[in-house]
Amino acid sequence: MTINLKIALVIITFIYIAFILKEVKRKKLQISLSTFWLISGILLIFAILIPNLVENLTKLLGFEVQSNMLFCITIFVAFYLIFELTIRVSKVYTNNISLVQEISLLKNRIEQLEKEKK
Amino acid sequence: MRLNMKAILIIPAYNEEENILNVFEKIQEYNKNSERKVDYVVINDSSKDNTLKILQENNINHINLIQNLGIGGAVQTGYKYAYQNGYDIAIQFDGDGQHDINYVEKICKPIINKEADMCIGTRYLDKNESEFQSTFMRRLGKNIISFFIKVFSKKNITDPTSGFRAVNREIIKIFSENYPTEYPEPESTMELLLNDYKIMEVPVSMNERKGGKSSINLWKSIDYMIKVSLALIIDSINLKSRKSRNVKNKN
Repeated sequence: MTINLKIALVIITFIYIAFILKEVKRKKLQISLSTFWLISGILLIFAILIPNLVENLTKLLGFEVQSNMLFCITIFVAFYLIFELTIRVSKVYTNNISLVQEISLLKNRIEQLEKEKK
Repeated sequence: MRLNMKAILIIPAYNEEENILNVFEKIQEYNKNSERKVDYVVINDSSKDNTLKILQENNINHINLIQNLGIGGAVQTGYKYAYQNGYDIAIQFDGDGQHDINYVEKICKPIINKEADMCIGTRYLDKNESEFQSTFMRRLGKNIISFFIKVFSKKNITDPTSGFRAVNREIIKIFSENYPTEYPEPESTMELLLNDYKIMEVPVSMNERKGGKSSINLWKSIDYMIKVSLALIIDSINLKSRKSRNVKNKN
């Protein structure tokens, strides 16, 4: 990696981290969910700055090429994330159902009470 | 029949403007002629047609779901209503006119006599009594679900997808707290069986749909079959492990 490329990558990663922090501050992203993204940003910076880190890791894990290892890790992490999102969506779905039911039951009750009043 | 037992029909309705008034009139007629009256509540599952308007204009007791939940979520709302209003028997009854109100007495009897916790109105027990013979795909689907239920609970249920069912107060409570919303009929049947509740079946005949259209086609039914089978397998594993844990805790 040339020094120019390194500097560019570090800058981009810092922008990435700043972007995440901004979303957390605007309360668009829950803090508990933001940790994953923040940690990924910090790891990226380590990978760029520490010389030979990726190279050694590739050898250690037995990959032939660095890019293979990076793609492999990325895909695994992406799968995990998608799975976790599916779980969250299921939970939101169940919660939504009971909310709709309760509100609808309450509306019916209110209507009945209003009728009795008349 | 014990007269002090309060019964309610839970009628889920989604886009049933052609049928719902008819169903309502049949219920009134039934109540005029029979000794024991049944209450009813229509659950309008955010219909896109004029169902809500018809319900309001004719002063039909209804709950209007503010968002579309699908049949399972709609029926559970009915069970919640039944539980909150202290009903002893809840009968699931379709809003499309498929079910015959005159079988309500028959379907409630095992519950009133405490012979069963749930009673299913089945189309296939007695072929002579049923004029409604459904398509090959439907029958095949039913057989596959029955097979799975038989494997996991070792009990025979001929028509686990029937939406014409009566349950007692205890089951109303269970369903109002927790009702499978994705594949409600087969999953809830399985759950009750695995928890050692008694289920009985009585033969009923059903009418063809009078209006509207049924939302079933080949691919949908295959997709349905695969997912139901999977759901039943997962449910039974869950319940069995929960049960063994309970046993251990007791010891």
